[in-house]
Amino acid sequence: MPERSALNNLAFARADSEIRSSHDTAEPAPAATADADRTGRRVNGPDQAVPPHPSRPITPPEGALLFHTYRSNLSKVRGLVMQQALAAGLTESRANDLVLAVSEVAANTLRHTDSSGTLAIWHDPNEIVCEIHDEGRITDPNAGQRRPPADATGGHGLWLVYQVCDLVELRSDVTGTTIRMHMKVKPPDLSE
Amino acid sequence: MDLLQTSVATVESDSEPYTLVVLAGEADVTNSGALRELLDAEVAKEPSTLVIDLSELRFMDSSALHVILRANRTMDRQGGVLALAGPRDPVAKMLRLTAADQLLPVYATVADATAG
Repeated sequence: MPERSALNNLAFARADSEIRSSHDTAEPAPAATADADRTGRRVNGPDQAVPPHPSRPITPPEGALLFHTYRSNLSKVRGLVMQQALAAGLTESRANDLVLAVSEVAANTLRHTDSSGTLAIWHDPNEIVCEIHDEGRITDPNAGQRRPPADATGGHGLWLVYQVCDLVELRSDVTGTTIRMHMKVKPPDLSE
Repeated sequence: MDLLQTSVATVESDSEPYTLVVLAGEADVTNSGALRELLDAEVAKEPSTLVIDLSELRFMDSSALHVILRANRTMDRQGGVLALAGPRDPVAKMLRLTAADQLLPVYATVADATAG
């Protein structure tokens, strides 16, 4: 079903860049939100009056979170993602996709920062979300959205992330980078 | 046990001997440096064919792929052929998504890679 993935990624990629540009011009809040995500604490209460802005990552549900800090062991990261993905109900093939995506993002932590990264995983009956936060910064808002030439010996990591995930949210500023990778538990079959 | 296990052999065949590199386990950014050293050393011997057996490789990330693509480039320049054999589904998918499978031959088995 490569057609479906391609369509999804096209749609999300477009929405994503729009979202990001409205961020960059309008609001200074992302840092606080990112901080809340990283620590698992809520900045606003669960009954916050402000409706969730589509460009602001939702606060992960409490109690159903798995947190893991990594610095060098990506095998452990992959193991956790695989375990959670299967527990959430993903097929083995889609679980492998998510494992690849998270591993690529976590690899960037090792390559581009001197500090640890954090992995948060949560899922509900509809989807599983893996979030990676680190102190690195991605300055190109379109990073990973165009396929690098096949013979390029760099730059395939984020491309793969966008290809295999149902939805990717990427936020990066001076405080670091947060990337959320979403996989639907029961993806709609658009081939029919 | 290391995350990535490697072995290298020179295999006699009906036609020409070829270099067989077997990768097992998980190849990622934490061991791509070691993989690069290994492949550089083998490529430097200028074999006419270098086959990388991926059948025991559970995971491969883009940094390992890049090491392989670099080796492929050098093999090309030397007039040799680098081929991949037996990738499992996740690795095969990754080769497809990056279009690496358009750059270098990917075979189901080592036997297929070295036939004829």
